Amino acid sequence: MKNTVELIQVRKTFDHFVAVDDLSMDIPAGTVYGLLGPNGAGKTSTIRMMIGITVPDSGEVRIFGQAFDRKQLTNIGYLPEERGLYKKMKIIDQLVFLAELKGVSARDARARATSWCERLELTEWMPKKVEELSKGMQQKVQFIAAMLHDPDLLILDEPFSGLDPSNTVVMKDVLLEAKKAGKTILFSTHRMDTVERLCDSICLIDHGKAVLTGELREVKSRYGRNNVQVEYEGDASFLDDPALVQSFNNYGKYVEVRMQPGADPQKLLHRAAASCRVSKFELMEPSLEEIFIDVVGKSELPAAARGAHA
Amino acid sequence: MRNIWLIIKREYVERVRTKSFIISTILFPALMLGFVIVPGKLAGMKTGGTRHIVVVSDNADFANAVKAQLATSRNVKYAVDVNTSPSEALRAQLKSDVSNTKLDGFLWLTDDVVKSRKVTYVARETSDFIEVGSMESALRTSVLRQQLMSHGAAASDIDAMMKDFDLEAVALKGGQEQKSNGPGQFISAIVLVMMLYMTLLIYGMSVMRSVLEEKTSRVMEVVLSSAKASELMAGKVLGVGAVGLTQIAIWILLAAAASAPALLAMAGVKDSGFSFKLGTLPAFAVFFVLGYMLYSTLFAALGAMVNSEQEAQQWQTFVTLPIVVPVMMMMFVIRQPNAPVSVWMSMVPFFSPILMYLRIVVQTPPWWQIALSIALLVVTIWGVIWLCSRIYRVGILMYGKKPTLPEIMKWVKYA
Repeated sequence: MKNTVELIQVRKTFDHFVAVDDLSMDIPAGTVYGLLGPNGAGKTSTIRMMIGITVPDSGEVRIFGQAFDRKQLTNIGYLPEERGLYKKMKIIDQLVFLAELKGVSARDARARATSWCERLELTEWMPKKVEELSKGMQQKVQFIAAMLHDPDLLILDEPFSGLDPSNTVVMKDVLLEAKKAGKTILFSTHRMDTVERLCDSICLIDHGKAVLTGELREVKSRYGRNNVQVEYEGDASFLDDPALVQSFNNYGKYVEVRMQPGADPQKLLHRAAASCRVSKFELMEPSLEEIFIDVVGKSELPAAARGAHA
Repeated sequence: MRNIWLIIKREYVERVRTKSFIISTILFPALMLGFVIVPGKLAGMKTGGTRHIVVVSDNADFANAVKAQLATSRNVKYAVDVNTSPSEALRAQLKSDVSNTKLDGFLWLTDDVVKSRKVTYVARETSDFIEVGSMESALRTSVLRQQLMSHGAAASDIDAMMKDFDLEAVALKGGQEQKSNGPGQFISAIVLVMMLYMTLLIYGMSVMRSVLEEKTSRVMEVVLSSAKASELMAGKVLGVGAVGLTQIAIWILLAAAASAPALLAMAGVKDSGFSFKLGTLPAFAVFFVLGYMLYSTLFAALGAMVNSEQEAQQWQTFVTLPIVVPVMMMMFVIRQPNAPVSVWMSMVPFFSPILMYLRIVVQTPPWWQIALSIALLVVTIWGVIWLCSRIYRVGILMYGKKPTLPEIMKWVKYA
């Protein structure tokens, strides 16, 4: 079994809106895979087809080397983007219920839930109701719910949103451990920083289509080292040279510049030094965020941020 | 099946544990007792001890007859003095006695007043219609007695003549005499039908609220990654229904326990006035279960369609109206259970849980009518489940937008 998940020409439409457009994707076993894309790109729709909430109009979803079958759900853990738990239910009962739905016996579920709660420092909250917990703690409970039945495939939609830094570290450790144990982890996110640190491979989708796929290292090298970060004070007119600069992101204090293919960064340094004070000038790999913006297109981001839910 | 069972179990355990379940289980019978018994008791309560009144008449026999009649009054206890020498001075004296609270009131029954049939009763408080009523009947009986006596009737004959009647209504059915169920049945029919109506409404609405809560809290998606939408809906409807049955069972047991001594005492009495056919309990169970299935499924779909309680309220009427209609028809059906309107309305699936059950309690209809109404109901439930599970499946994943009718039609068509 090489790929944990295979999507073959999968298509899903709602009325006339195409949410997923003939998408193909392979998620190798034992990897951390990033499903990236702006809001409304079709990430959630894609994931929902992997866990049988919806059925593709055409194409095939294969999990663990077989055509999708509801029996496989007991081996998949899912953390939805919109977090939700039964507010009036006690933490421990809630975890046991969700694990039982995944085929774990009540007794095993209770034991596992208890040890997970110890690990994530929730022990004293176990007999409390969910509504008494802080957002961050609820998030941890939800995380445990996704992991409790020890699935081979973990699907996490925006797993770190709303977590404070220390809890983020705890979660990351848990995920890395799961990876070491040979689990496959699918991340869906539009936050590039986490992906860069954790993912082995990515698939960037937009309007339901895959626009960029591959191993993270390979994707980055494809974009080459023709990026420059400049920290400066004063006039930014050195950027107005179409012969040198293809595009740039100006953050005020510093600017990230993408050079024209073949252009010499030294020339840009000269120009910059002539018009303003340069405190830092660095050649760098493109960040995933830049690649993302570049591929998806800047103009779309604000529109996407309005968040059409598909 | 395992999933449905787990969902039923969760729904049941979580609900039965809540304070609101425990409180409503105790409170409902208490309220029913309150509404039915307390006003009756209050109205019939003997008003504040003995009333001391004076009967003034020229005729001592008549005054004593009135006194004797007043003594039989069930609602008010009287201490009656008779005065046989009416005069303006006496009247003034009595008036001042009444205002000085030496006396509670007096009846002025001089011959001319009796003849004109316009009698005055002077008292400080005259708003008690029950007291006035009992006084009127005492006067009527006394006058009648006196007149019969004056025509030479013997006292024993008069007593025999004025004895109350006992009317027994007998319905003829296919040549067979069938005892009608009487006023006792009438009361138990209303109580049971109101109970059916309220539980249908309350538990239907709790299914709706529960679906809505799962949707708004977004826990739906987590559950859907393990269970099918249809399993979730079935588990929810059955789980909440089981809670409803539990509550009704507790109520019936409580009622049985509370009334057991009274029922045992009544066993010896032939016509106790309040009768209750235990035989209608299975029918209650059948019509509760079927009615609940029908309405809770509709409510589940409604909960899945909307995004908030407020939005739900706008649609709710469509679902609650068919429960309210039969309750409005209740009185008509009780009085004329075999009128064509009653018969056909009790066949309409959305009304039959209440109306057919009511007819069974009041006067058992022919078996084919019961069978037909149940068959129609079952077929309708099947159709409603098919339709609603489709709406539910799509609705639970639709956030934010307020659905329109054409949109909902589209959901039904989705594969």
